[in-house]
Amino acid sequence: MPSADLTDQLEQLHVTAFGWALSCCDWDRSAAEDVLQASYLKLLDGRARFDGRSSFRTFVFGVIARTAREVRRRALLRRSIPLASWLLGPEPVDGGPDPATALARADETARLMRALGRLSVRQRQVLHLVFYEDLTIAEAADVAGVSLGTARTHYERGKAALKRLLEEESE
Amino acid sequence: MKERDDRHLKQAFEALRREAAAGTPPFQGTVAAARARHTAAPRRALGLAAVVGAAIVAVVSVSTWRARQGGRLEIDLATVRWQAPTDFLLKLPGDELLRSVPQLGLRSNDRGTL
Repeated sequence: MPSADLTDQLEQLHVTAFGWALSCCDWDRSAAEDVLQASYLKLLDGRARFDGRSSFRTFVFGVIARTAREVRRRALLRRSIPLASWLLGPEPVDGGPDPATALARADETARLMRALGRLSVRQRQVLHLVFYEDLTIAEAADVAGVSLGTARTHYERGKAALKRLLEEESE
Repeated sequence: MKERDDRHLKQAFEALRREAAAGTPPFQGTVAAARARHTAAPRRALGLAAVVGAAIVAVVSVSTWRARQGGRLEIDLATVRWQAPTDFLLKLPGDELLRSVPQLGLRSNDRGTL
């Protein structure tokens, strides 16, 4: 794909891609920006190449999910091995929302984020992809790198758990 | 009931999406930052390669210098010979007769002088 076309397509997806990066990074804004930059870099320098087997959006989301996993692993390495931080570069600062933003955050949104945080990573990913990104369960399975059956199970169980948690939160 | 629940979830996620969209960094800025990382990464790799190279050069030069200085450790066995306290048990009576050369002519001479 020519570089100009790739940039245009990425620009169209940018807002949803950032939302997905946020979800992959537990809503840590700074980490999400870091992951998104690393993902764009992979796409722009050709390390991640779109081969047309899925939709472009599914492909980009898959790259973001893999990059987020790499960043998490690197962060773990940094904490567990001395001098690793020097070799791997500085760790992104905690990008949680500032107090003003946190206060302004709608109550319902805050409840949803708390409830999502209590789900398993896979359940959270599948629900986010289906409800937030409007992907089908099959597309979500592709992005999360699991089979369709597994994605369906995560979707059903995650949805039930999320409803229960939201009800608990509102009581 | 199920559909209503799903609609409720969809609305909640929609609110989350609106909030996240409002705080999305500009696309051009993200791409520019990604490209800046691209140029910073080789610099880091170059720095790492330089450090490793310097360490190898240091190790090689130190070992060469030590070899030139006669760094091989030579031990004079005569000076470090150790004697066990029980060595005397290995000495046999008349041991010195076996170690010395018999002098055959000496006894006849002695007899002559007597």
